[in-house]
Amino acid sequence: MTDILLFRDIDEPGLATIDVYERRGGYQALRTALKTDPAELIETLKGSGLRGRGGAGFPMGLKASFIPQGDMQKYVVVNADESEPGTFKDRELMQKNPHQLIEGVIIAAYAVGATKSFIYIRGEYEEQADILDAAVQEAYAKGYLGENVAGSGVELSLHVQRGAGAYICGEETGLLDSLEGRRGNPRLKPPFPANAGLFQGPTLINNVETLSALPHIVELGAETYSAIGVANSSGTKLISISGNVQRPGNYEIELGMSSRDIIYGLAGGPPEGREVKFWFPGGSSSPVLTADDLDVGYDFDSIAKAGSMLGSGAIIVVDDSQSVVDVCLKLAHFYAHESCGKCTPCREGTNWTEKMLGRVKDGTATPMDLDIMASVQQRIIGNCLCVLGDAMAMPVSSMIAKFRGEFEAHIEAARAAADRAAVGVAG
Amino acid sequence: MSDVQRFEHGSRVPGWDDAADLTKDPAVIPDPQTTPVPAELRTQIEAEMARYPAGRERAATIPALWAVQRHYGWCTPEGIVQAACVLEMTPAELIAVATFYDMFETRPVGRNTVYVCTNISCSLCGADELLAALRDEIGEDPDVNLRGFECLGACDIAPMASVNGAYIGPISLDEVPELARQIREGAEPLPAKRLVLRPSADPKVSASTPEDA
Amino acid sequence: MPRPVAQMVTFTLNGQEVTAPENAILADAALEHGNVEIPVFCYEPKIGGPVGACRMCLVEIEGIPKLQAGCSVPVKDGMVVHTDTPRVREAQEAVLEFILVNHPLDCPVCDKGGECPLQDKSFGWGDGISRFVEPKRHFEKPLALSPLIAIDRERCILCYRCVRFSQEVSEDHQLVLQERGAHAFVATFDGHPYVAPFSGNIIELCPVGALTSQPYRFRARPWDIEQSGSICTLCPAQCNVSFTVRDDRVLRVLQRDHEGVDDGWLCDKGRFAYQAIHVDERITQPLLRDGGELRPVTWELALETAAAALGRGRGRTAALAGGAATNEEGWLLQGLLRDSLDSADIDSRAGGTLPLDLHQALGAPALQASVPDLEFAHAVLVLGTEPVDDAPVLDLRLRKGVRRHGLQLFTATSRPSALDERAVLAVRYAPGAEAAFVAALDAALTGADVAGPAAAAGADADAVRALADGLRAAGEDIVVLWGERVCSGAAGADAARGLLNVAARLGLEGRDGAGLLGVPDGANGRGLREVGVLPNAAPGLAAPDTDGRDAAGIAAALAAGELTGVYLLRTDPLVDLADTPLWERALEKATTVIAHASFLTPGIAEHATVVFPAESHAEKEGTVVHPDGRLQRLRPAIGRQGETRPEWQVLAELRRALGNDERLLTCSMVTARMLESIPFYAGLTLDTIGADGTRWTERPQGAAAPAGAAAPFDLPAPAPAASPNGRLRLGTFRSIWASPEVGASPALKFLHPRQRVELAPGDAERLGVRHGSPVTVACDGRSVTGIAHVRASAPEGSVFLETAIAADSAAELDGPLVEVRPA
Ligand SMILES: Cc1cc2nc3c(=O)[nH]c(=O)nc-3n(C[C@H](O)[C@H](O)[C@H](O)COP(=O)(O)O)c2cc1C
Ligand code: SF4
Ligand code: SF4
Ligand code: SF4
Ligand code: FES
Ligand code: FES
Repeated sequence: MTDILLFRDIDEPGLATIDVYERRGGYQALRTALKTDPAELIETLKGSGLRGRGGAGFPMGLKASFIPQGDMQKYVVVNADESEPGTFKDRELMQKNPHQLIEGVIIAAYAVGATKSFIYIRGEYEEQADILDAAVQEAYAKGYLGENVAGSGVELSLHVQRGAGAYICGEETGLLDSLEGRRGNPRLKPPFPANAGLFQGPTLINNVETLSALPHIVELGAETYSAIGVANSSGTKLISISGNVQRPGNYEIELGMSSRDIIYGLAGGPPEGREVKFWFPGGSSSPVLTADDLDVGYDFDSIAKAGSMLGSGAIIVVDDSQSVVDVCLKLAHFYAHESCGKCTPCREGTNWTEKMLGRVKDGTATPMDLDIMASVQQRIIGNCLCVLGDAMAMPVSSMIAKFRGEFEAHIEAARAAADRAAVGVAG
Repeated sequence: MSDVQRFEHGSRVPGWDDAADLTKDPAVIPDPQTTPVPAELRTQIEAEMARYPAGRERAATIPALWAVQRHYGWCTPEGIVQAACVLEMTPAELIAVATFYDMFETRPVGRNTVYVCTNISCSLCGADELLAALRDEIGEDPDVNLRGFECLGACDIAPMASVNGAYIGPISLDEVPELARQIREGAEPLPAKRLVLRPSADPKVSASTPEDA
Repeated sequence: MPRPVAQMVTFTLNGQEVTAPENAILADAALEHGNVEIPVFCYEPKIGGPVGACRMCLVEIEGIPKLQAGCSVPVKDGMVVHTDTPRVREAQEAVLEFILVNHPLDCPVCDKGGECPLQDKSFGWGDGISRFVEPKRHFEKPLALSPLIAIDRERCILCYRCVRFSQEVSEDHQLVLQERGAHAFVATFDGHPYVAPFSGNIIELCPVGALTSQPYRFRARPWDIEQSGSICTLCPAQCNVSFTVRDDRVLRVLQRDHEGVDDGWLCDKGRFAYQAIHVDERITQPLLRDGGELRPVTWELALETAAAALGRGRGRTAALAGGAATNEEGWLLQGLLRDSLDSADIDSRAGGTLPLDLHQALGAPALQASVPDLEFAHAVLVLGTEPVDDAPVLDLRLRKGVRRHGLQLFTATSRPSALDERAVLAVRYAPGAEAAFVAALDAALTGADVAGPAAAAGADADAVRALADGLRAAGEDIVVLWGERVCSGAAGADAARGLLNVAARLGLEGRDGAGLLGVPDGANGRGLREVGVLPNAAPGLAAPDTDGRDAAGIAAALAAGELTGVYLLRTDPLVDLADTPLWERALEKATTVIAHASFLTPGIAEHATVVFPAESHAEKEGTVVHPDGRLQRLRPAIGRQGETRPEWQVLAELRRALGNDERLLTCSMVTARMLESIPFYAGLTLDTIGADGTRWTERPQGAAAPAGAAAPFDLPAPAPAASPNGRLRLGTFRSIWASPEVGASPALKFLHPRQRVELAPGDAERLGVRHGSPVTVACDGRSVTGIAHVRASAPEGSVFLETAIAADSAAELDGPLVEVRPA
């Protein structure tokens, strides 16, 4: 059973150092890859069925194949911004096994002909960035990076760039602008980064986990790797699970496993005496599912069929002691705070939604506000420049739709409480 | 200046009500001749600029702002002008970037940075109470910059905090006085709760990790 | 890069077939070729490509599931587009509702009310109801963004236009967005004012009333004003403008987009100096000197006195025309002088006589580049001119070429140029060494010895070679944008020959998209030359019966008593010309000084014997010639203020009084006569010139222009530069803000320059001069003081001072070497 790839040896002391990593077979896949023709390598990546782990689930090999041929300067950029609430898998990968990522980056760069690469890591991950910096230095010292990668004559530079706190820099074009030293506003697409990305050069951008899987794909071969998981969702996936569960953390699973087995089996379910009320299957941007959906298989297609998305693979569990209004308000606040402000529906829509939810919470709303709020979400979805707006509107819509009764009851109760307080003050 | 609105957790300070001071000169690219830059700041920024292709040196803006913040404790106008001078940009371009990101401070703050995550997973586990308790315990300490923060990517140790970059959690309310003391004294915060020491939650991992390790 | 040629394609727009250029932006193509308006806020092609920020322009394109931004989609053959489906309507309503969430809707007290795109769009595309009951954000308003611009942040819809202008058009990078999300706001760094040569354009770009003109605020509502199109004649760029008029007063100046001239931008001088039209200091009635004082008199008396004085001075009177004079005025003036006063002493240039055949050759139609060529050329060499000072709007055109079309820009100037940062190569030479520099460049292009002339020019020989190689390697479409100062002074003729050599070596003659573009000192410098306001040229650049004295010769002759009178048509030699001391003596000695002036500048105030009130550019009628050969038409926007009479009329009356019987009753009669008299203008009329102007150099009749001298010329070895002996070489420049109109406009006054002495750090240190401290610059016993401005980019060995300022002008100093010391 090969359902442990990315996390293999993950807690081995010293794995973050190049010696231990090499001792565990590290950088062998790179040597294999360097002997392969880049075009063939891209075919292997395509054949592996690996889909992006950053949230959008775009087939990795296909994206690599979009990078144009030619002599122009090309780049590989690692998206290590990991800011989607509930997501913390890349953190553990970078902290404990940085060389696995570096090896993946080199393989990807070789496949697409890039000679410069960057890891854009969120500024808050200082400890992980320090570890990466050290690992990159080691890789340079050992000749895996630099002018002659592992003696192959191929050139590659790698630099770790630290962000400074902005969720939108996880969106790939916002990330590129940030990496170029600007405000992290998403760009208009097309052109896509594959054609005009960093410094307007062709750029392959992938998530940390996506690239960390590359050495394993090269090692196993496309066929073996693609046999893991289910149709359209091959390979293993790191699941970050948090919220009201007994054993929060990252788990590597084979895609297709039942959600119940993850939430209850791996994470131990909600605390004693509590039930799952609802859960986000793919980070805070995914529409919520309820206890009724627990038997859905955890893979791209099944979660989509259930009306949500696998996203970054982050499950947030909310138990029946929690108020949906509070979670919804937290969520709206987050997106309003993180909206970059470039486009109107997201900037104003997230801000408006947060204000309406504030009134729901403090009892100055009416049930009609719920209708307005629902319609505001519909007016955001599909009309924004990037999908941050949708990332709030979809879960908020799902919460209002699935828990309307609770919202209404909350409005009633909060109103009554506010009235009582007012009378109390007056009297 | 009238009272400006702040986000609840105080992380951002809008400057909407500020008019231009008409006695000042326009803020153009600072002339190196009239803008002395501390040597160590210049060295750091120039080293960052060297990492990018020629003509793309402005990509060093964020590292340059980090250098300014390290040097002065926050992104002071003076520091921004100096960075702008080295980068050959206008200070406006730098302040535009600095104010976009949550971690850059554009007003004076305490040197000890404490972020308490108050996002969904952490608040499900009591983060709002943690932040309130810590705020009470620390009080008005000018050396501490205590801020509520969005998800810090460590929901597995909810509720959690980042103290000068070190992640700790889960933090119970009982630990708040001790943590506050450690922050004040510059001691290592809750050493036993350091994220970097935490083993993986995945049971398969311990099974797969060889015994000889 | 040369202009791309677009292929036409057909697409379907709301069921109707529309033909448009392939890859045109859908929003543009729909409006221009399909007569369908797709509403936009953030999209403004003048600024650059689409940003897709406001989302107002969403449309449905068959085959694409999501709505698409019509401002960002290029038109393709066979595309099927809908802009009026319920889905599109719903999205447009949605976006408008979102925009209005944070908009105060204070239209009744908003300056933009009545001409506001947001109002229009809310009316046309909104659903008219607001469901937003939350308290709107409230901030103090309006606040000063600069002395010229007020900002109302409540009204801002964050469309990015103003900040993009600052980053991507003017490239001053001073105006930015700060903060994020709904908290984002437009601001400068740390409360500094947004002061830059083109700042005012953001007022026009703002689609709401967030950015307003401080001088215009609350002066008028859109329904009681009129717009009147004319030309700004405050500099040679001759931007097309529209004056906003109410009650016969100019209240505002707006751009009148002309791709061939200004590309839709104005500088702040052109935009705000209209204020000088309505200030009390302006001269609006005739003045006569009486017992040492200038006193108001009747027109009859003024005209009589002037005519009598001129009559007495027959044969001993000279004339000078300032750059803002029209063709008609210049033509009448030279006729008055040559035909009625038997004098040949007339000039409109400050830089000395240039042989006529060189004037002819430099202006030859086959060698003239146009303004758009600056954008689409392979390479432009900016030679001896600072566009932002000399013809501001051209600075933006060059930046656009670099940014959007891969133009390779080269600068060769003595003073560091604002464009250096955008240039592939910036070459320096010593002030005044233009002829030697051009000779060096010519040598480099022919492979001859560069070292000698380069040394004489104080330029680096390798840099000159690199410049020659760079120009050759860039491509064939090369434009040399040269300043009049290049062909000025003692070596001006050599410089002109060198310049013609360079043009010949680069094969610029007869090439579309390539050529020379000369920036004259005066706004209508080119026109004045062509109508004969030169000592050695009659109308049409023909040889006159006799050659006369140039400006410097006139000064000397006046001072020596050889001439007794001078006619100053909109110029004050003490402000506009070099060698102030000589001119002071000249005017002192003159018995007759007749001036057309708007302000009592020093020369007029002290020395004029008769002053006729001059028209402002908003009152003027007539024609001017753009540096690229485009005849443009001025139309009066307001009536003449006070008792002001048209200049052409004054000249015509004097002409009659002095014996010419021809009756010129209207300005258009003068225009017609003037046009007829010049062979290469043949067939032009006011109608054919039209609202957009006409480049005579492009018309077949242009071939009638005299060809002039033919390159290549043998150039003499340039004289070596004088040895400095611890002194610095004096370079001068005239700032964009150095004009009486700027000084007289209350809102612009703060920009009116005081002397600043620019020098290099090394020189400053050696001379013990500190940045910001007062210094004295002296030469031959005369001196001026100014504030030291130590610039890292200033070349060692030179010092730069401003001319055309009221006090301490560099014109006081003779040069070429000056002493600089702490004051
Ligand atoms: C608002 C927003 C935030 C995102 N944040 C992240 C992130 O933190 N990390 C990440 O890898 N991808 C993130 N993405 C997805 C990226 O845009 C992009 O799809 C991804 O980096 C591609 O890599 P992959 O194909 O390997 O997943 C985000 C997308 C959006 C719209
Ligand atoms: S959707 Fe939000 S985050 Fe994305 S571009 Fe628009 S405003 Fe910015
Ligand atoms: S001030 Fe005007 S132009 Fe500038 S962003 Fe706001 S609305 Fe747009
Ligand atoms: S550039 Fe010249 S013509 Fe244009 S507005 Fe300015 S002063 Fe007038
Ligand atoms: S919610 Fe607190 S770290 Fe993610
Ligand atoms: S006009 Fe298209 S998004 Fe603004």
